[in-house]
Amino acid sequence: MLNFDWLAGVSQESAKIVFLVLFVLIGILVMLIPNEYAYEGVKKEDRHWWNNLKLWAIGVLAVLFLIYYIF
Amino acid sequence: MLSGIDYFVVIAYIVGILLLGYYFKRYVNSSEDYFLGGRSLPFWAIGMSIVVSDIGAMDFVGVSGQAYRYGISVGNFDWIGSVPAMLLAAFIFIPYFWKGGMYTIPEYLGRRYNPTVRTIASLTWIIFFAVDLGVLFWASAVLLNVLMGWPVWASILITATVVGIYTYFGGITAVVMTDVVQLVIMFVGGLTLVFLALHAVGGYNELVDKITTMGPEYRQHFDLIQPSTTKTPFPWTGILFGLTFVMANAYMIGNQAIVQRCLTAKNEWHAKASMIFGSALKMLIPILVLFPGLMAIIIHPGLEDGDQSLPMMIKSTLPPGLIGLMFSAFFAGLMSSVDSLLNSTATLFTKDIYEPYIKKGANDKHYLKVGKITTLVLLLVGVATSPISSRYPGIYVAIQTFLSYFQGPMFAILLLGIFWKRTTQWGGLSGLVIGIAFAVYLNTFKSQFFTIEDPFLYVSWWSFLLGFVVTVLVSVFTSPYSESRLSGLVYSSKKKEQVT
Repeated sequence: MLNFDWLAGVSQESAKIVFLVLFVLIGILVMLIPNEYAYEGVKKEDRHWWNNLKLWAIGVLAVLFLIYYIF
Repeated sequence: MLSGIDYFVVIAYIVGILLLGYYFKRYVNSSEDYFLGGRSLPFWAIGMSIVVSDIGAMDFVGVSGQAYRYGISVGNFDWIGSVPAMLLAAFIFIPYFWKGGMYTIPEYLGRRYNPTVRTIASLTWIIFFAVDLGVLFWASAVLLNVLMGWPVWASILITATVVGIYTYFGGITAVVMTDVVQLVIMFVGGLTLVFLALHAVGGYNELVDKITTMGPEYRQHFDLIQPSTTKTPFPWTGILFGLTFVMANAYMIGNQAIVQRCLTAKNEWHAKASMIFGSALKMLIPILVLFPGLMAIIIHPGLEDGDQSLPMMIKSTLPPGLIGLMFSAFFAGLMSSVDSLLNSTATLFTKDIYEPYIKKGANDKHYLKVGKITTLVLLLVGVATSPISSRYPGIYVAIQTFLSYFQGPMFAILLLGIFWKRTTQWGGLSGLVIGIAFAVYLNTFKSQFFTIEDPFLYVSWWSFLLGFVVTVLVSVFTSPYSESRLSGLVYSSKKKEQVT
């Protein structure tokens, strides 16, 4: 049991899909974060799309998704 | 052996870093300056510092060695084993710690649970960091020995002296700002090696073709996802459950050396941004550390010890001058990791052990002095314990083994502490102690329980799970703190603050 024997039947392809779905889920959770929270610490007049931390996070996740999709 | 120009590059690098680090001495006037940089640092410096601190000698030497033996699956540690956890840390945990004005993670645990939990967590980290220092020193000595024929102990002492001086005087500001330069040098040196070595093997496609046709044991060298039945230490089940769900989060959220950097940020946005920026840089790391190991399979087949692959690649691929640059890059990784451990351990000892138990209520200058002395003492401990790591077959796996003893249970009580207000002090204490004991037990008798070569990922998952379950069970049967006592320490209280 400690070796996750019950998952031995899951193929590498299926496992890869599990990883990719995980990245998509994380991306959805990031998108649900309120903009106000993502900008906290930045003055209202200094808030732009490029310092929206949600977009930074989505960008990073997109690259990660691509790496796991390819390999 | 290094040529004259290589020596010049290395010495110029070392002297430059020493001077730069020493320059920041002028900004250290209080313990807050020494441990938190006066909470004034920008996100880009912190992000670069997080990444470079996390890739030290063990990654350059150890990960190349793992890539030589097992292929790219070791890259999971820098990709799925870092990025999601860093995003979670950025949006959920770091803002808590930063707003709370905390110095250490155990300080949060002490406020949320009780002083005993704080002390256990802090002592565990202090012991781990001391052992980790030894591993780092040993890795440097191995490389210096292969490259230059320097005696192992001479290498260790030179490294310790250089890092010790600027960390002692400049505190975390010196650590972070020297890390910025060290990251740049590491990327330039590492990418140069990868580019030249890739050219030597005939390009990427040629590399893949040659390795995958070398025999059945190499067919999965380019698969990130390894089957759960693999004999390597990286089955996908271990990567998902042990690494992604537990170790990565525990490392990025509960590791003092990482989190302390974010606490130096000038405001909450910079604290969050530092982690996300760091995660972007982190994704580039496998290019630097994996490829030399893979290319060594072609250029230096049949090495008995995979950890020799990087030193061999440097010797055989780089021309004079660039060897010195790569050597400086290696030094950069080593120094940035060592300085982080020194400063973080000094913070843990001063804030969690010395201040509450040895001398309460002393003036700030006294604690600053204690922090500096601790830095020196730890340096000596690290040097003295360095030979321990030579008993383990792979340096990187060795350090993960140490981590798996307590990362899982620590993360379990951190997670429950923030998200479940019903968690009690006794639940947290029991979960931590029993979880750590279970991890030690599993590691000690691993051959009886596990079928893979080194089951540290599984140990981490199961000890997390037991720590989690024990914390919940004990909490259900013991009294929780009042809502007012938990204000600002649990997620639900933050949501209420936002509503009101």
